[in-house]
Amino acid sequence: MRGVRVMFILYAVGIAAGLAYAIVVGIQGY
Amino acid sequence: MRRALRANGLSIAFGLLFLGSLVGQAISGHNQVNHDQLLHQGDPIGLWHYVTSAMFWADVMENWQSEYLQFSLYIFATVFLIQKGSNESKEPGRVGRESDEQQQIGEHAVRNSPRWARVGGLRTALYSNSLLLVMTSIWLASWLAQSITGRIGYNAEQLDHQASPVSWPTYVTTSDFWNRTLQNWQSEFLAVGSMVILSVYLRQRGSPESKPVGAPHAETASEG
Repeated sequence: MRGVRVMFILYAVGIAAGLAYAIVVGIQGY
Repeated sequence: MRRALRANGLSIAFGLLFLGSLVGQAISGHNQVNHDQLLHQGDPIGLWHYVTSAMFWADVMENWQSEYLQFSLYIFATVFLIQKGSNESKEPGRVGRESDEQQQIGEHAVRNSPRWARVGGLRTALYSNSLLLVMTSIWLASWLAQSITGRIGYNAEQLDHQASPVSWPTYVTTSDFWNRTLQNWQSEFLAVGSMVILSVYLRQRGSPESKPVGAPHAETASEG
């Protein structure tokens, strides 16, 4: 299950980073 | 290593497809923006500038939100609604949230059940809805991000045409925002509805998204 956990974390971190970055870019008005 | 790759084939394949498409979107979107700049006697922008712009992220978020809405609604709707004959649906007799025994919660937990399924109380209540909660949160966050980034592009267009920029509360009432939103929703809902009803009569041998090839049309909730 270690590989499965790694994939879960990769998805979670990737999605959170994408959402956070988009919100920051939008707020900064680039 | 090879075993780990095989055990995660689906998430790896779709992760790579996602990254490849995102790169393709960045390159084609960048070309399109620079083509537009040329037509309007503007200066071309660099690829990095484009992928860190609100323009690019508005397009990304617009599609994310509709996908996460689709899955959130689907997870929720399939608790309470059924489709006779579809393997995307559960059996007609199991409508609703089902018993603790069926869901292996609390005293009905099995040896390897997750701890939060076993402990009861708030933690089990939370864990019992965690998939829907997280998918819905991602939907709402990406829809919010779409509105924040979409406003930047909308205002740039307004300023280009000597019109006033709009505030965020005004932007979420514009036809630009709702057109971008609904054009994505309509396709998601159609695809889900199609999947539900086509899987009654059509098959894909070997896929858990389909019934077994020989399963009767009237059989609901079977996997092949």
